[in-house]
Amino acid sequence: MSDARRLQIEKLNKFYGPVHAVKDLSITVEPGEFLVLLGPSGCGKTTALRMVAGLETVSAGSIRLGDDDVTHVLPKYRDVAMVFQSYALYPHKTVAENIGFPLKVRGVSPAERDAAVRDAAGQVHMETYLDRYPRQLSGGQRQRVALARAIVRRPSAFLMDEPLSNLDAKLRGHMRAELKHMQHELGVTTIYVTHDQIEAMTLAHRVAIMSDGVLQQLGPPREVYNNPANLFVAGFMGSPPMNFVHGEINNGRFRSDGVDLALSDANAPSGAAVLGFRPEDAAVGPAGEGRFDGGVYASELTGDQTLVTVALGDETTLAVKMPKDYETEYDSVVSVQFPANSAFLFDADSGARLSTGLKG
Amino acid sequence: MEQHQRRSLLTRLFEPPSIGVMAPGTSLIVYGLLAFWTAFVLFPIYWVLITSFKDALTVNTGPFYLPWVDFKPGLHAWRELFQIDYEDTLSAFLNSIIIALASTALCVLVGSMAAYALARMEYRPKFGLIFLFVLIMVGAAAAVGFLGQDWRLAFAVALALFVLLARAVGRYFKRAVGNGDILFWMISQRILPPVVTVVPVYMMFQAVGLLDTHAALIIAYAVVNLPIVVWLMHDFFATIPIDLEESAQLDGASRLTTFFEIVLPLAKTGLAATTLLTLILAWNEYLLAIFLSTTRAQTMPILVAAMNAGERGILWWNMSVVIIVMIIPVVLMAIVLQRFISKGILVGAVKG
Repeated sequence: MSDARRLQIEKLNKFYGPVHAVKDLSITVEPGEFLVLLGPSGCGKTTALRMVAGLETVSAGSIRLGDDDVTHVLPKYRDVAMVFQSYALYPHKTVAENIGFPLKVRGVSPAERDAAVRDAAGQVHMETYLDRYPRQLSGGQRQRVALARAIVRRPSAFLMDEPLSNLDAKLRGHMRAELKHMQHELGVTTIYVTHDQIEAMTLAHRVAIMSDGVLQQLGPPREVYNNPANLFVAGFMGSPPMNFVHGEINNGRFRSDGVDLALSDANAPSGAAVLGFRPEDAAVGPAGEGRFDGGVYASELTGDQTLVTVALGDETTLAVKMPKDYETEYDSVVSVQFPANSAFLFDADSGARLSTGLKG
Repeated sequence: MEQHQRRSLLTRLFEPPSIGVMAPGTSLIVYGLLAFWTAFVLFPIYWVLITSFKDALTVNTGPFYLPWVDFKPGLHAWRELFQIDYEDTLSAFLNSIIIALASTALCVLVGSMAAYALARMEYRPKFGLIFLFVLIMVGAAAAVGFLGQDWRLAFAVALALFVLLARAVGRYFKRAVGNGDILFWMISQRILPPVVTVVPVYMMFQAVGLLDTHAALIIAYAVVNLPIVVWLMHDFFATIPIDLEESAQLDGASRLTTFFEIVLPLAKTGLAATTLLTLILAWNEYLLAIFLSTTRAQTMPILVAAMNAGERGILWWNMSVVIIVMIIPVVLMAIVLQRFISKGILVGAVKG
């Protein structure tokens, strides 16, 4: 399949009365690319997707699919297929009728439709359920039918609105892999909305992270993870998320309660700042041998590793991932160590990443 | 064991043997009450049935309750209506069927589409424009009534005037009404007692020359029942998950296809109930029928009433025959539609 098309979103805006739900969103999704829109609920990602689908009007900006401007085109003429969080299967139609519905309304002949339905059902391993009704299917099977209905007419783009969030955890992992495989096979331009960063990391060619209607960062998952553009992205990605120490930059040093570290840029502008580092990049050791010391607040064995929580002052707790055989005493004083190149500094007010890092 | 023996008969009668099972005494009372209520409800039907086999003497010297025991049943009333007067009976019966079915079909089709629009689309008509429209139309009516203008001309001018004014000053009006207000306005059409509107309705049908036709009653019933259909169907449509309709639109269906392929089948429970109600209302309607029909479009209720006023006095036996004939189609329709009034249509639509 090679009729995948480029999807260009430019300066997209959405107002609900005084509420500015999506602000100047510009993303270009390349043909065949799997783009994940990631963000907490209420960040505008679903609204953005619904505008691309044509289910919401566009307040300002434009949407282009291939060479066509579809900004004000009715959904039925957009040639995009959507998978809903709720599956949205037609309860009074059988699986075959559900999958064949997009072809039926386009006037495809019954014989041709039947072949296409069998083909699509085969792609999602549902060919033996064609005569069932949605109520006779499990959650995972319903999800497959919804997918088959989306792929049956070979759309120019797929839109998926949290399609896996109604499945239980085990099934979700399985469907995630299938979804990735299917998108790769079909090579359809896809926008996938989720609040689950694991889904975003595993599925996406590129991730677009949104907050309060604003695009925070757009890039491959690895880059977004390793090189967060701001405090929000750093705090949203990762499980547990990045550790933050609030403090101040003064005379080329970062200072906080019990923390005093030299910066790589001795002339860094002074002001409130936040130091961030990831749990897996850090290690705890004997007191006095790391970047700063703290008290052991909790130690949890999760199976493949031990998660140590270190208290720094009264308000800050930091998570550190240690090997599974690591053991420590509660309330004992330990040091926290991490390499300079995995430490990030952010402006405390704007959240923007600072150009300086830690020294050595 | 001894204690068990000593419990009074009353206690044993009214103590349930286990949860979910009625004690013998309780069930006796419950079924007794139910039997009484059944008899109470069914008695009028029974009475009508036996009256239809009585003759004038039996009715007037009665009451007699049991055929063959109290009185000798005869078929003379049935014979009178189906052999001697069969043309009148048949014509009224056919009129009733045509008018009830046609008006119900029209009413349910238009009403459910209006209800769907009110459930799914947002309307914000400006308050000022509605006021302007009413004002201009009243002016046009006055021109026709007092100045003797031709009504076609008057209303065409009024409409043109309204469109021009609306375009010119429409944007200065700020206050608007919403879907809820429209819905309430719809049902408010039924607040007025129908008898108040009968004379103007009569005059309107007279003006367009439709008196004593099927069309007059079909239109009148459809309009009168429309608010009920809109009101009821609006509630049924509102319960359908909007995801299904959005999905249909993305699948390439038009609004109309979505309505007929997705929405209506899912609302068939409500549709069946609403259809039945509308049908019964149209079937039993008397007031409009007596004003708008004289002979050709006469319906069954009129036929029943006519037996009340002849020079032969009240013909209870004939009336009973007509009532039985009237009940049968409604019961049949109810049995047919009953099958659609089942629960659980939406199971499996969205997340389970």
